[in-house]
Amino acid sequence: MKYRKSGGAVIAAVAAVALAACSSSSPQVTQPTVSAGAQELTGTVTYWHAYSADSPEVATLEGTIIPAFEKLHPGVTVNDVPIPYDELHQKLITAAAGEQLPDLVRADIGWVPELANLGVLEPLSTSMPDFKTYSAQVYPGTLATNLWKGTYYGLPLDTNTRVLLYDASLFEKAGVAVPTTVDELMAAAPALKKAGAFAFADNGAGGWNMLPWIWSAGGAITDDGVTKASGYLNSAASVKGVQNLVDMYKAGYMPDIILGDSGGLATSDGLATDKYATILDGPWMYPIFASQYPDFTVSASQVPAGPGGSVSVVGGEDIVMTQSSKNKAAATEFMRYLLSEESQLAMAKIGQMPVLSNLGPQLASINAYYSQFVEQLQTAKPRPPTPAWSQIDSIMQDEIRAAIRGDKTVQQALDEAASQADALLAQFN
Amino acid sequence: MSTPQSTVAPPRTAGLGSRRPRHRVATAGRRRAILAAYTFVLPGFALYVLVMIYPAIQTLLLSFRDWNIAPGMASPWVGLENYSRAFKDPVFVDALANAAAYTAFTVPLQILIGLGLAVLLDAKLPGRVAFRVLFYLPVVTSWVVVSLLFQYIFSSGDGLANHVVVDMLRLAPENVSWFQERWSGLFAIAVLGTWKGIGWAMLIFLAALTAVPVELKEAAQLDGANAPQRFRYVSMPAIRSALSVVFILLFIGGFNVFISVLLMTGGGPGNATQVPLTYMYQQAFKFLDFGYGSAISFTLTMVVLAASALQYAWSRRKMED
Amino acid sequence: MSPTWRKTLSYGSRYVLLFAAGFVMVYPFLFMISTSFKSRSLALGDPTNLWPTSPTLDNYRQVLGTANFGRYFINSAVVALVSTALIVLLSSMMAYAFARLDFPGKRVLFTVIIVGLTIPTMMLIIPQFLLARDLHLLNSLPGLVPFYVGTALAFNTFLLSGFFRQIPRELDEAMMIDGAGPWRRYWDLAMPLSKPAVGTVIIFSFLGTWDEFAWALTVLNDVDKRTLPIAIALFQGQHSTSWGLVFAASLIAIVPVLAVYILFQRNFVAGLTTGALKH
Repeated sequence: MKYRKSGGAVIAAVAAVALAACSSSSPQVTQPTVSAGAQELTGTVTYWHAYSADSPEVATLEGTIIPAFEKLHPGVTVNDVPIPYDELHQKLITAAAGEQLPDLVRADIGWVPELANLGVLEPLSTSMPDFKTYSAQVYPGTLATNLWKGTYYGLPLDTNTRVLLYDASLFEKAGVAVPTTVDELMAAAPALKKAGAFAFADNGAGGWNMLPWIWSAGGAITDDGVTKASGYLNSAASVKGVQNLVDMYKAGYMPDIILGDSGGLATSDGLATDKYATILDGPWMYPIFASQYPDFTVSASQVPAGPGGSVSVVGGEDIVMTQSSKNKAAATEFMRYLLSEESQLAMAKIGQMPVLSNLGPQLASINAYYSQFVEQLQTAKPRPPTPAWSQIDSIMQDEIRAAIRGDKTVQQALDEAASQADALLAQFN
Repeated sequence: MSTPQSTVAPPRTAGLGSRRPRHRVATAGRRRAILAAYTFVLPGFALYVLVMIYPAIQTLLLSFRDWNIAPGMASPWVGLENYSRAFKDPVFVDALANAAAYTAFTVPLQILIGLGLAVLLDAKLPGRVAFRVLFYLPVVTSWVVVSLLFQYIFSSGDGLANHVVVDMLRLAPENVSWFQERWSGLFAIAVLGTWKGIGWAMLIFLAALTAVPVELKEAAQLDGANAPQRFRYVSMPAIRSALSVVFILLFIGGFNVFISVLLMTGGGPGNATQVPLTYMYQQAFKFLDFGYGSAISFTLTMVVLAASALQYAWSRRKMED
Repeated sequence: MSPTWRKTLSYGSRYVLLFAAGFVMVYPFLFMISTSFKSRSLALGDPTNLWPTSPTLDNYRQVLGTANFGRYFINSAVVALVSTALIVLLSSMMAYAFARLDFPGKRVLFTVIIVGLTIPTMMLIIPQFLLARDLHLLNSLPGLVPFYVGTALAFNTFLLSGFFRQIPRELDEAMMIDGAGPWRRYWDLAMPLSKPAVGTVIIFSFLGTWDEFAWALTVLNDVDKRTLPIAIALFQGQHSTSWGLVFAASLIAIVPVLAVYILFQRNFVAGLTTGALKH
């Protein structure tokens, strides 16, 4: 019986390669089919994720996606294990140390290089025969988060980005147009202040907060090979990007939650109560606003542009498979299913943006608010994929906050951050 | 103190490691007594060693390496490098100072207020059960919940703390951004720690107070002692031991503060309110530098051990007279 | 009338202090209860406003209706009860030995216990995880017990030994003259006389094991083996949390702990040692 199983798998693999070879230049969207080999899949697939209890995400996963997959592959049972988001990273690290990892993990995009560096992830680009089929279908920015030392260790699962959310009524009251560039935002700030609001608010100074400004100003964090930060993080353009915010803060157009928002007025609360005119945030805010502030209408537009364009930062999660998985065939098949159109659309309905680029045009009809995010995702970039990112982010946070408080100049802060980042990046090159 | 001797076996000179001159005789009875003592101690002790001491030793060994958590990869030996790094690390030194300040604030307050409440609730007061439950409520509420509530109380806007400090007591001219600065942030965390620990200390003191035999109190009252005198001469000696126990435990707990800092400020802004254990957690679990994290933990342990050993020896001496 | 006046004043002043302290202690708890009855609780409302505008039981309904919630409750209860019983037994035995028995190595062993008090358990997680793996105790509820008990022994032994030392030696000696061995002295003398202390150990141990989160999350994978704190943490979302839901779940989880407390604080009644001295 072993021969028949492997024989079936070989046929399926050959068929897949043949199909790929015959395909046209535009990426085919693979529909989940029951190929000859797939019927032989059995066993359990354990899948760790961080969807919270009673959320629409876990309801869709357990109520729609997994049953549909198990119907296609009756021999396979998918065992999904929800883990509180704040503790998932620690649990992964401990499990890695004790060699107790599951088959699949929905990992934050920032964790993939780190886990890959530990050697616990399956190098999909080399071991998965139809990897290119899937990698071609997803947004390039989302795929790049899986890259480590020339190999891809996962596939994107869901994505998001930050766009400019603003309070239209405040802009009307102030009599200014909604800004499309950074200069316009800074010009509108005094009028907004007169209307009783801060022009812009954010709650941190790390990569997630700063990168849209740095990239839009034409700056960068590291070189393309992620080997060093000096000359990039402290380049004139990067400095200008951060300086814009420092100037706004010093002029009183930004609240001090950027230094730390424990106990302060949160960005979402401030926006909804007309205290903040603009914030940067993700698609999850819409259901939150609808539930918590039903009388408030939030509007969205692209990140204020600079010399580098309007470039935002990519967030989201990747799906990775572990080296220690005992059921790689079935796990890979479930991964493929999660990247199928029907799966991605099911998740899209409840706020998880799909990574399949051809679904972009459809999204606005699912949720009207997706359109701004889809547009922003065309140019959005991921944070540098390196295991050192956690530390670099922490250093950036500290240095930029010091600059905002006026303890040092932006150039000094970024110089210091860049030199420390160099030392950290050198460990991995 | 005399130990029952078997009348059969002849006396022998001091044996079996006991140093007290009165235990001169090692007999079958003595050996049986020692065996019995070991059956009391060893089951629990063995479990304790297995689950705590053995992992602690492993962590100690880990601190001498540049430990790589990936099972297959090498963890080179670096000797005391992690420790010398800790001593030179300004963040760690500040973290120790923060923990010390936190301890200095919370320990005396928890003892004083806890003891005070225990004394009040020791007497036959109607409704005392309800009050005992009331004061215990903070202890049982989860840290996640209380941290959230205290963040609200200490909010930079018109929170309760600002209302008290600015409007009522007029200690500050305008609203304080509590969590933006080191000492105001630590203050908020310390208030939370004190609030949550008072009921705990109260419980232990209550247990100690109720162990005082009633006859002693009655005898003192018959001798004409009033309430404060009764407290001083009858109750206080009895709770001195509890006082020492509570002090050591609160002291250790103060230096080992972790979850409240993690939830309230995360050690921020910019490492200002970092304490040794949150710093250790960041180094070990976020930056995956387990060698350094372990070195930090052990340095903290050594500091706390030294301090509590001193305190313990001092109190033992006082108790033995 | 003077003594009655003084008594009223003394009682009155006590009550004033108790009420003032009580209000401060209980206020956040009241806010928690109030929020648990709110329907829209992604952002916490004004802390000075305790009465929700339109109170609803929805949060409680949702929590109690969550899949497996009853299961988690029972898991936590079983683990907590078994662990507490073992902690009380083992730590009181050790405490008695350190307080009243003599044996070689006593000082060394006691020092090792004190040292354990200073070790923060957070940093032991990975070696303990590897140990649990090697002992095949991973992903099992009974497997939690040895770890919960072992890590609680130092604290409770230390606590109880202080109390056991307070028992008058004459009572011990009286029993020894009667021929009682250490077991009888422990079981019939020390334990009954230390009801307040033992009650404290029970209260603290139950609270600690009922609420324990980090280790249980690290070790348990199967969803049906999980304990209550994990279930409550799962109500927190990545981007937003309905705090009313979390608070409702937390309040439900507090009930057993309070029950244990109310049950055993009855031990904190003066007069338990009445007559002991007259033996």
